[in-house]
Amino acid sequence: MLTKLTRWSRIKSPWILHLNSGACNACDIEVVAALTPRFDVERLGVLLKATPRHADVIVATGPVTRQMKDRIIRIYDQVPDPKFVIAVGACAMSGCVYRGAYNIMGGIDQVIPVNVYVPGCPARPDAILDAVVKLLGTL
Amino acid sequence: MSDAEIIQGLQKDLGGKALELTNPEPRRIFLKVAPADLVAAAALLRDRYDCAHLSTISGVDRGDVFEILYHFAGPAAVISVRTEVAKAAPHLATICPVIPGAILYERELQDMFGLVIDGIPDARPLITPDDWPAGNYPLRKDWKYERPEERIPGGKS
Amino acid sequence: MKFQIPIGPQHPALKEPISLRMTVEGEVIRDADIRLGYNHRGVEKLAEERNWIQNIYLTERICGICSHSHSTCYVQGVERLMELVPPKRGMYIRYLVSELERVHSHLLWLGVAGHEAGFDSFFMYVWRDREIVMDLLEMVSGNRVHYAINTLGGVRRDLDEGQKARILEGVGTLRKRSEYYLNIGANEPSFVARIAGVGRLTKEQAETLCAVGPTARASSITRDVRKEDPYAVYDEMDFEVGTADTGDVLGRVVVRVKELLESYKIIEQIVRKLPDGPIAVKAPRKAKPGEVVSRYEAPRGENIHYIKANGSEKPERLKVRAPTLANYPATVEMLRNGFIADIPLIFAAIDPCICCAERAVTLVDIRSGEETAVRLSDLRRRAAGRGPNALPKRNAEWPL
Repeated sequence: MLTKLTRWSRIKSPWILHLNSGACNACDIEVVAALTPRFDVERLGVLLKATPRHADVIVATGPVTRQMKDRIIRIYDQVPDPKFVIAVGACAMSGCVYRGAYNIMGGIDQVIPVNVYVPGCPARPDAILDAVVKLLGTL
Repeated sequence: MSDAEIIQGLQKDLGGKALELTNPEPRRIFLKVAPADLVAAAALLRDRYDCAHLSTISGVDRGDVFEILYHFAGPAAVISVRTEVAKAAPHLATICPVIPGAILYERELQDMFGLVIDGIPDARPLITPDDWPAGNYPLRKDWKYERPEERIPGGKS
Repeated sequence: MKFQIPIGPQHPALKEPISLRMTVEGEVIRDADIRLGYNHRGVEKLAEERNWIQNIYLTERICGICSHSHSTCYVQGVERLMELVPPKRGMYIRYLVSELERVHSHLLWLGVAGHEAGFDSFFMYVWRDREIVMDLLEMVSGNRVHYAINTLGGVRRDLDEGQKARILEGVGTLRKRSEYYLNIGANEPSFVARIAGVGRLTKEQAETLCAVGPTARASSITRDVRKEDPYAVYDEMDFEVGTADTGDVLGRVVVRVKELLESYKIIEQIVRKLPDGPIAVKAPRKAKPGEVVSRYEAPRGENIHYIKANGSEKPERLKVRAPTLANYPATVEMLRNGFIADIPLIFAAIDPCICCAERAVTLVDIRSGEETAVRLSDLRRRAAGRGPNALPKRNAEWPL
């Protein structure tokens, strides 16, 4: 009964944290655009939270820079279990054009485990929406 | 002020200090000075040529020497002041007393090229990470980066 | 008694990582320090390893909001090195995308400014209308962000009559909406009271600290690369440089709204005057040895690229200076003697683009030396609770 209730609440209102680990802002504005009237991800109960401690899902954008690496792990640790990570954009998947640069550690999966990958440079808001829905579908 | 007037004026004001003055295209003037005359040249451009706006400082690694360009933007033209310092003794005087806005660019030069800016008000690293090993200057031509092997989550299939 | 407050690198208001360290005395900021590097990727080194064509797409990815600015600045410079003259039609389409990008960027900022001032419905309205210009950009270039329309010697996609009509229609709607926002801004006393007198920057300070773009123009400096160094098509266009003399956040809002209206004017002129002909010429693979300083007025200010070629397929050196970096010394000055509650607003007012320049704010209490990480949402709450006994602000008035 209790598990049923928690699952229901998890599906009905996943709270997301937007984490930028060195992205070029393109994916970030598309994540914000997904929250605004045209796409309106909030109608699915998705709420953008300011702090990792309130979040269920980390929406990560950008390649991992050397300076951000330890901070990402700290933020990931602060998110309460169960936690999920969506990697948005080609950079978060593999590093995109910055692959091979001296300050880039590669995609976000080099540092924290990732559940859903969203390709695109940048990923469209509809693709981000689709990723959230697909993630909820696995629960 | 036209380009020709600026060049004439600079020749008159700087005299022998102006090692080279070129005007490769309209509204772009390149001036070469010795490192010792740099601060004086910056002050002159600010006071007489209305070029108080320093757009940026670019450094180029040219083998034995570092070529440093100070791009001053005025209403009439962009005057790039070029100076060269030897790689063996990379010291350059700060222009912050003349143009306070130069601080971030000078810090960037220190991080990227390993130049030592004498008299800089704030010498802390600006953009290199906290755990960056000392003595590594990415924009030097002889500095190479090897990308470490990446881990594929879940393994190859 | 002084405290130090760290803000960032992960914080909710601005979507990028940077670290700010504020020294505060009570509620008043005495000093601020900025640490960059969280977003440093090493694009300049990477550019030396890629060829001229690949670098167009690399420079485009320096920033996602002003991506066209960086690639255009780069392409302008390389074309001069290669002695290429792009055809007129190609140039017109390139700068059409430029102005559409400026509209999208300023609308984005206007929304964020509304959000930071606690006016969320304004944010939602503006971002709804921003989708109009995003659709136009997608129609012209094929992608919402990172248009990839530039190529050496021209552009990659042509415009047809139907698209021209849609651009004019879209711009007409946007102009009506922008005038409505101007009206809200002018007649909404709470919004004006929140932003007037916040983050003062005098003309002298803006000059000595080398501020650029709307930040400088709000302090009555008429510096606009499009006017003082008219590149490409801008000497054929009729437009004005919008300035304000208040030097505060209100002034910056005014300058940006004025610029929006000017951009609509330029877009209409470009579409109406669009000449016939080819859109691109073939570019050689190598550039002659030489150097060039290329300047471009990005939405945030002057963008400057220094490109040096050595006769090979790859550049010898590509130096990029994005406008946000130039505005940091001025931001520190704006924050000084301001309130903690105003940090998000002041910081958002320069329209920071960290990825361009290369984010966290730390509040450290000097009384106890205790360090507390404060999130911008907390700061906003503090702003809401600032109470009636706050220092009086300058009388709020809309200078338009």
